[in-house]
Amino acid sequence: MEIIMSVLAGLLFTAGVYMMLQKQILKIVIGTALLSHGAHLFIITMGKLNRGNPPILTEDVTKYADPLPQALILTSIVISFGVTSFLLVLAYRAYQTNGTDNMEKLRGNEHE
Amino acid sequence: MLHAAVLLPFLAAFFIPFIYRGVKQVHLGWFVLAVPILLFGYFLTFIKNVLQGVHTLKTFEWIPSLGVNVTLYIDGLGLFFALLITGIGSLVVLYSIYYLNKAEKLGHFYVYLLLFMGAMLGVVLSDNLFVLYTFWELTSISSFLLIGYWYQREKSTAGALKSMVITVFGGLAMLGGFLLMSDLTGTTSIRGIIENADLIVESPLFSFILILVLLGAFTKSAQFPFHTWLPDAMEAPTPVSAFLHSATMVKAGIYLVARLSLVFAGTDLFFLIVSGFGLLTLCWGSYMAVRKTDLKAILAYSTISQLGMIMAMLGFGTKAAILAAVFHILNHATFKGSLFMVAGIVDHETGTRDIRRLGGLFTFMPITATLAFFGAFSMAGFPLPIFNGFLSKEMFFEASLFKHSSPIVESVAPFFPYLAVGGSIFTFIYSVMLFFRTFTGKQRDTLEKQPHEAPIGMLISPMILVALVVIIAIVPDVFGKSLLAPMVDSITGKAVDPHIKFWHGINNTALYMSLAVLVFGTILYLTRTKWEKVYDILPGKMSAAKVFDAFMNGLETGSKKVTNRYMTGSLRHYLVYILTFSVVLLAVSMSVTGGFNLSTDDLAPIAVPEVMIAVVMAVAAFGTIFMNNRIAAILVLGIVGYGLSLLFVFFRAPDLALTQLIVETVTVALFLLCFYHLPDLNKEKTPSRTKVVNWVISISVGVIVTLIGIASHSTKMFEPISEYFIKNSYKLGGGDNIVNVILVDFRGLDTLLEILVLGLAAIGIFTMIKLRPNKKGGNE
Amino acid sequence: MSNLVILPILLPLLTGIFLVFFNSKLAIVRMITKVMVIVNLIAVSAVAYEVVQNGTLVLKAGDWTVPYGIVLVADPLAMVLVVTANIVATACAFYAFHSLDEQRERFYFYPLFQLLIAGVSGAFLTGDLFNLFVFFEVLLIASYGLIVLGGTKEQFRESFKYIIVNLLSSILFVTTVSFIYAVAGTVNMAQLAERVGEVEQGGILTTIAILLFLVFATKGALFPLYFWLPKSYTVPPTVISALFGALLTKVGVYSILRVFSLIFVYELTFTHQLFIILAAFTLVFGVIGALSTNNIQLIVAYNIIPAVGYMILGIGVFSTTALAGSIYYLVHDMIIKAALFLLVGAMAAYSGTSDLRKMGGLIRHQPVLGWLFFIAALALAGLPPFSGFVGKLLILRGAFEEGHYVVAVIGLLTSLLILISIIKIFIKGFWGEDKLESVPSISIRKKVAPAAFLLFFTVLLGIGAEFFYPTVQTIGDQLIDPINYIDSVMKE
Repeated sequence: MEIIMSVLAGLLFTAGVYMMLQKQILKIVIGTALLSHGAHLFIITMGKLNRGNPPILTEDVTKYADPLPQALILTSIVISFGVTSFLLVLAYRAYQTNGTDNMEKLRGNEHE
Repeated sequence: MLHAAVLLPFLAAFFIPFIYRGVKQVHLGWFVLAVPILLFGYFLTFIKNVLQGVHTLKTFEWIPSLGVNVTLYIDGLGLFFALLITGIGSLVVLYSIYYLNKAEKLGHFYVYLLLFMGAMLGVVLSDNLFVLYTFWELTSISSFLLIGYWYQREKSTAGALKSMVITVFGGLAMLGGFLLMSDLTGTTSIRGIIENADLIVESPLFSFILILVLLGAFTKSAQFPFHTWLPDAMEAPTPVSAFLHSATMVKAGIYLVARLSLVFAGTDLFFLIVSGFGLLTLCWGSYMAVRKTDLKAILAYSTISQLGMIMAMLGFGTKAAILAAVFHILNHATFKGSLFMVAGIVDHETGTRDIRRLGGLFTFMPITATLAFFGAFSMAGFPLPIFNGFLSKEMFFEASLFKHSSPIVESVAPFFPYLAVGGSIFTFIYSVMLFFRTFTGKQRDTLEKQPHEAPIGMLISPMILVALVVIIAIVPDVFGKSLLAPMVDSITGKAVDPHIKFWHGINNTALYMSLAVLVFGTILYLTRTKWEKVYDILPGKMSAAKVFDAFMNGLETGSKKVTNRYMTGSLRHYLVYILTFSVVLLAVSMSVTGGFNLSTDDLAPIAVPEVMIAVVMAVAAFGTIFMNNRIAAILVLGIVGYGLSLLFVFFRAPDLALTQLIVETVTVALFLLCFYHLPDLNKEKTPSRTKVVNWVISISVGVIVTLIGIASHSTKMFEPISEYFIKNSYKLGGGDNIVNVILVDFRGLDTLLEILVLGLAAIGIFTMIKLRPNKKGGNE
Repeated sequence: MSNLVILPILLPLLTGIFLVFFNSKLAIVRMITKVMVIVNLIAVSAVAYEVVQNGTLVLKAGDWTVPYGIVLVADPLAMVLVVTANIVATACAFYAFHSLDEQRERFYFYPLFQLLIAGVSGAFLTGDLFNLFVFFEVLLIASYGLIVLGGTKEQFRESFKYIIVNLLSSILFVTTVSFIYAVAGTVNMAQLAERVGEVEQGGILTTIAILLFLVFATKGALFPLYFWLPKSYTVPPTVISALFGALLTKVGVYSILRVFSLIFVYELTFTHQLFIILAAFTLVFGVIGALSTNNIQLIVAYNIIPAVGYMILGIGVFSTTALAGSIYYLVHDMIIKAALFLLVGAMAAYSGTSDLRKMGGLIRHQPVLGWLFFIAALALAGLPPFSGFVGKLLILRGAFEEGHYVVAVIGLLTSLLILISIIKIFIKGFWGEDKLESVPSISIRKKVAPAAFLLFFTVLLGIGAEFFYPTVQTIGDQLIDPINYIDSVMKE
């Protein structure tokens, strides 16, 4: 199962990276979201999957899923939510001020 | 006390601006003059000690833990240079008082000059390699400022830059050499290094070190092909040219070679490089000087050539050669100093330095002309024993006839006398030309100013120097015994008979060489119009200056080209570079360190629902790529997110699932909100090559992270620390939900900061929406 | 005593949050900022003094047993950098009062600024890899807020690139942490050091280490990962550029230094050799970039890169001398980069352009600015007796001692090219014909003062190297043999 999940995370990375290499701002932002999902999937996979109960203490249960990766993912999800929202507004404003959503037109290399 | 002496010019430099502001009636130079005179007097008191072989050594601990201490050391070599710097320094400051008008920015001028003086004293008195280097660069910097003194002129600033680039380049090379030397010998003291010279000479790095150090010396002392900065440095006010660019700073390289002779001399490589480049510089400098028409340019090339001659003698390394070298350092300072001052006077009183426009000045300025006569003929080495230049040139010829034991040296040494004579012939020509074209004949052009004799104040300094020219020539032994002998001691490490013959006698090869110079020089001077075409062939259109300019231009255009190539401003390019590099590096790392490992021992069983979700997620992820409708793309992205939260449910992470569900919902809503305002996705017309590149990169990224992920999972080397959390969650954290306890207790800091991140994002979003730049663009 | 460790994070954090609520009353905000940057500087200096005198302080956040909670480790290295960051912050705060337009000040510049400092200090102090990621995010999102502050076209254009690249590296960071957790079962750095040591960095660990290096190298602007940097650092107002140039890349460099001296030190022939090669390329390409432009801010921004090259070179050489050099250079570079950004900012403000071709003769109007810039230029090029020289000397000495001659020579040549690139500003901007059409009536005295304050430290670190070097050497020793760090954390 872990291997399948690693492959799935890898696929999410592939799709995410591909999207990030596109020109349109929207696609790039979608790419980062896919990448985040891939990363979170990796974290949960790196703890062992499907071992024991959910990490909520209950009587008679001694085996629980590794809680630490879950805690880390939670932190990470919240952070990437913050960053993604920021990025979305930025994308919108960047489009509005520059008049294009095509990053290839936003090179700004007119220096020199 | 000794440290105070080196510090004095710096202190004075610090106070000069205040005096300048306070006292307007008196020329600032009079205050400055006190510094070199005081120091000169102070250094004179060391002569007695040095003659008795007593060397002074004083240490001030600067950065002892790095072995960088200001250790000042006075032996014959250091003392001679200290006297030269302060002696010529006094005369130059005196001269400058009359040369520079009070309307000039005198404050700046004297600050730079004093900085230089202090730095130069530091160079010749430091026993510590790195302190020497510090002062060395400081001389380059003060020279840069002095050349750029008239900073509005483009020529001045260009000359300043050139001198700085070349001398700092050499300085850095030298620093490299110093680092290696101190590493090999374990000491930063020059005396210590000389004691352990065999460690350096026997090291496989010897040639590397030698070349690095010599690069420093050659650039500073304007040896071919680094000489090109010196003519351009003539943009500095003439007192500066007389002081820095003929008498002192350019001799720092000579000093360095002399100082380290005890380490390097005696090796064939040292001999070949130093005497070879020395002679080459001698010939090239004098050859080029003949061609020049600006008085200061002639003097600049002449200085180059004379420096080459001194360098060559240091390369010969015999006792006679060293004596000749140090003698010539003294002589050159006197006659070249006086000639520069004369050139300054001519410029000052006629408004030009171009010898094509000058002529017949003897009648207007007889004293100046007389001074020039002595200077020029001494420089020419005219065979009359009233010119110190003749004495040292004679010794140079004699030294060039030396015998040497090494076979390599044996094979090249016979050419040296011819080169020496050849270079000297041209020296003779330009010296004679300098004098005759300026002071005799008819005035060729109407000048801006009616020429007249210079004020007496301006004449004092060159008069003293010319007096020295003659006195040294008549009683060379006085100087030989008191100044030169201890100096030769320091360079060769053994006591030497300092006797300088006033007259070498008739039956003597050296004299014949001198006579040959005289005869051929005169003939060539008289027929110069006939053979001037030679210069069209050599150098023709070549010049070291052009090489330098090409280098600087190349640096600018080349760097622009290179940089524009990769700094395209395209985000995609940047990502392509970053990702390609990462993938390649990771692949290399994995194959080199062999970390890949696939273990199926400890895996969770494969369950159908999870796999199905995985397939859906994968399809959805790739679906985003092919969606042409923004709403659809966002919804498909949502499928991936919701799929993930379902997986979290299966993987026993209820909190995660819940959070992911909420976050995903909000994110999708946000996406929709924002992209309602953005243009719809269009089918990008991407060239298929770009598409292929994108696919290759994204697939390889996916593959490599998957491989690392699988390998990481398969090489669990340690028990995770999480057992502790399960055991102590309730006991210590008072909660059943372990993940929650971790978040708020065990790793509470993370959670605090995560909230902070949200807050910051909110502030950022708020400013982005609310803050609109005012019309002007609002950037400060 | 060990609670002191939280001060460098807590003070700016609380100040920042507090300031959010006063954003409309600028006078109060400025006042508080003024007081708090100084208080903070004094506080961190006191903590640093304590640490240098009496050894590393460890704070277990929430008092949880190591390695289960998060630890903050104030070892001499971290504290030296925290103090330096606060020196830079102080100068930048005072520059901000006199350079920012009121709009920007009102729109949360000061809170963002304070929280950026909190993030940077936290990144230096934390002893937990995941927590490092979180602090990175704090400082990054504060920097996102700052880089778009003002909302000009250029800012939006460049900040989008800046954020995407940083986001990519953040995602890789968190992924890497999970890989490390899978293999070593912990995210506490000291424990990681022990565990990685036990298995001698076997298996996939080196590759994971490289992945981590790539993450930090992207933030630290190493070749060929720095291309996003130069332009994005020049679009925001000067004071923000100065903060970025001085602090952000240095956090990346610090992380490499920390991780590759504490944890991953068992495959030196691969990892550290790689650093040396990359350092050489970084030196060369960075300085070529600096030579390629006439925009004064861009010249300074490009010069961030070769400086990173020197530091990575020191890490790659990995001897006490070279590491001490890297640390010295790190401190030097934080200060000099901030100073240079402030100085060229003042130049641009005075002459109304950043284009060197339109400048000239400024020294007649602004001699103090000119000479300060001259000193800064020499210091940047690593000429004695300024701070850059000491660091460069140590790094190169280390490189020569360990036999890395080629890269050492490249290092020497690079410093010549750095000099050429920066002295160009002096020659074309301050020297030459006066190109000002009319003498501007603005006074830039108050903009020059913070730069002078920073340059004071540059001179002090150079001439007074003896006061600092022994400490730095001790840090170098501790990095080569990190037992001090591990014991301080694990034996609590």
